[in-house]
Amino acid sequence: MVHALRRAAGRLHAGGTLISIRPHPTRRPLVAIVTGRRRLPVATLLETAFERNLDAAESALRRVVEEGAFSLAGVRSARFRTYLERPAQMRTYLELIYPPRPRFPRGGRARLYEMWDAAPRGARIEVTESLILNALRR
Amino acid sequence: MATEISAYPREGLERRLIERFVSLRRKHVLEIGCGDGRLTFQYASVATSVLAIDPDRLSIEEATEQQRRRGIHNIDFRVGSIEGLPERGAPFDVALFSWSL
Repeated sequence: MVHALRRAAGRLHAGGTLISIRPHPTRRPLVAIVTGRRRLPVATLLETAFERNLDAAESALRRVVEEGAFSLAGVRSARFRTYLERPAQMRTYLELIYPPRPRFPRGGRARLYEMWDAAPRGARIEVTESLILNALRR
Repeated sequence: MATEISAYPREGLERRLIERFVSLRRKHVLEIGCGDGRLTFQYASVATSVLAIDPDRLSIEEATEQQRRRGIHNIDFRVGSIEGLPERGAPFDVALFSWSL
């Protein structure tokens, strides 16, 4: 990752901007069932395999700033939500994510189905994810 | 009616966040990890040029096909990685690591 950032630095104008958008390093995807204004949390998805990559990205971004290749222009985070009409769509949703994909904790998927069966008509499944954006100036 | 499922933010969110730091208008942009061009197509119309790379050949083929259908001419989609780019070459104004770590 550090090598990739250094290579990008070499291809930027002086004063150019490097933007990194990636999943938020600490806010995990949250699955809930929503009915009107009521939100029932089901599970927080695990990103075990991905966490190493996220940690590596964080430290690589810090390192190129410490080396003086870039200065930090700012950091922003944001949440975004996806709504699913039924539990079977969870599989499609997860498959859309480039591997390594998040997964349910043990028993989480069964809990989703149980809660869905008990949910009133018109309920939806909500997945809340968070991203982080770092802007570095060359 | 079938709902279109996306695991990424709704259109416009990422571009708005980026433009808090840098306008993409009339810029030469290098996008690393462009995938099927989902984000690329959101800003390419205002950029001067975009070199968008991704190691996944199928994604790049899909992006190129969409580009053809949309009639966009300022994007160069290529299979590859940042490490594979020549160290020297025409400089870019913006390097965008798009969900790539």
